[in-house]
Amino acid sequence: MRVLVCGAGAVGARAARHLVADAGTDAVLVHDTDRKRQAAVVASLGDRAQAVDEPDPADADLVLLASPAGRQTAVARRAVAAGRHVVSVADSLGAVEDLLDLHAEARERGVVVAVGAGFGPGLSCVLARHAAATLDAVDEVHVAHHGTGGPACARQHHGALRNAGLDWRDHAWRRRPPGSGRELCFFPDPIGGSDCYRAGLPDALLLVPAFPSASRVTARLAATRRDRFTAGLPMLRPPHAEGRIGGLRVEVRGWRGVARDTVVLGAVDRPAVAAGTVAAVTARWVASGRAQATGAAGLATLVEPLPFLQELARAGVRAAVFEGA
Amino acid sequence: MALLRRALAAVGIAGVIAAVLRLRGSGGTPPQSGGWRELSGPDLR
Repeated sequence: MRVLVCGAGAVGARAARHLVADAGTDAVLVHDTDRKRQAAVVASLGDRAQAVDEPDPADADLVLLASPAGRQTAVARRAVAAGRHVVSVADSLGAVEDLLDLHAEARERGVVVAVGAGFGPGLSCVLARHAAATLDAVDEVHVAHHGTGGPACARQHHGALRNAGLDWRDHAWRRRPPGSGRELCFFPDPIGGSDCYRAGLPDALLLVPAFPSASRVTARLAATRRDRFTAGLPMLRPPHAEGRIGGLRVEVRGWRGVARDTVVLGAVDRPAVAAGTVAAVTARWVASGRAQATGAAGLATLVEPLPFLQELARAGVRAAVFEGA
Repeated sequence: MALLRRALAAVGIAGVIAAVLRLRGSGGTPPQSGGWRELSGPDLR
């Protein structure tokens, strides 16, 4: 398998490292607009990694997009046109919408466009699918995110707090004001409780097709008072190279027999590390034909959750379940 | 003129109060029992 990795930042470099260590990978082609960073990452990956000046999807079997969200759609479109699979870690609402628009063409060409294959969205979608498997019927899915990965993720977090949230409510899309809907969400330790708000997050777009019976699908983002107060301003200082520990909380409500039940799953990790691992495992699954559908979709639609979580656990990304009330 | 000043002052004070209330929030209820447990072994079979 030859994989073209676009973006050698906090997530892309981790994903490339996982892929280059896999026996089934013949070559990892790395592209980044920052040539110094590209050269450093390629040098650290060994003989099977090569730097490329221009990303050419036709030169690989699969394209892994870990570049800033705004640059992903053009490369994804070229990859689909060339009949290549795509795995994207896009986490912005606009980029996810654009990538999902490739669904018809991707299906026609028999390729997979795995959208939002990172930590959140990504692992969050797999956890939702896994939680749903323990219920007879699902009617609500609520996702909360905490923390950021690399600089692009920090910019996305900042931007999301000033963009309208997209909720699925009563089987219809609703735009909701950013920063509204405060909810105190409890993430796995050591994060604990954190106030979460509506924001421009793409989770509902990826989850609704996987849960057609759900009447409510929402996503919230943990934010401090300073985050919310400065959301309307440009970032006052450059984003950090890599964020601290982050978390996910996925609450799935539904029916077990005649009783209502709620399943809460979560995860804590450094978001960029976990996102790189999820992206690499997704790439392996898609390239080996284990995706459950063709076309553009999120991981809740594309992967079987249990073996995917087993593979992630072997790679060090572990999920947790909340037991109690 | 005095009326305009009073109206502007009222709008300003209302804005400050709204901003404080929006940023302050109003607490929440922590879980009363239980806790997080890593998914392992039987959970992933």
